[in-house]
Amino acid sequence: MDPHSAVDPQSTYDRIAVHFSKTREYAWPEVESFLDGRTATRALDLGCGNGRHAELLADRADAVVGVDLSRELLREAVTRARKRGYDQTASFVHGDAATLPLATDAVGLAVYVAALHHLPSREARVRSLDELARVLAPGGTALVSAWSTAHDRFDREAGFDTTVDWTLPGGETVPRYYHIYSPEEFETDLAESALETVEAGVSSGNCYAAVTVLDG
Amino acid sequence: MDVVCCPLDKADLDLDVDERDDEEILAGTLTCTECGETYPIEDGIPNLLPPDMREEAAA
Repeated sequence: MDPHSAVDPQSTYDRIAVHFSKTREYAWPEVESFLDGRTATRALDLGCGNGRHAELLADRADAVVGVDLSRELLREAVTRARKRGYDQTASFVHGDAATLPLATDAVGLAVYVAALHHLPSREARVRSLDELARVLAPGGTALVSAWSTAHDRFDREAGFDTTVDWTLPGGETVPRYYHIYSPEEFETDLAESALETVEAGVSSGNCYAAVTVLDG
Repeated sequence: MDVVCCPLDKADLDLDVDERDDEEILAGTLTCTECGETYPIEDGIPNLLPPDMREEAAA
């Protein structure tokens, strides 16, 4: 893969990590409400970016692991955890969402928010959902989200691939690959995977699903 | 960090520590007990990408 192409989120997010992280200070309200009342021994923030949701999980689990494809974003996540005092609970791993370096049944609670849409093929996206199902213990729950055609800026019904520019201070733009999901397609990909959808919907232009894995 | 495993075959990893700061491992190597693939720990962050996704010496 061309290391400078928009399809490679690793180099894309390494380039924009510092500025991107500054604009991702706060947890999404949908994630806060999903996590309300939920706890686990171990939790996972998949596609953790700067770790803003790992921070929420750190209040709800004895140990949190954050996984991301961008080493520069992981550096931001480590720094943030130290500054805010959850570095004893949260640890961060450089990894691929479709080839997770985590043990089977390792976590009871997970969020996979705003990252699935960066994986460059449907095969890789469904494989990453299967990997989430593998590491989620039976009865565990996760929240999955992706950008959706329901967002105001898109005027299409069916899901599609696109690039969305990130503008750095100084005006340089960095293209980022997205697969924009239609809500139907999002639910189809979840159904194709080993995850069981508990509830699915659209909020603020994103598709969301609460998912679980069943016993056996 | 007892939950990490080899991304390829999901087998356990053996840890070799090169540099430690109190409890934190800053540099070292994780080696798969099954396939023998090695994964570096750099600046305290294990690189557990599949080997074909590693960006070689980006600096």
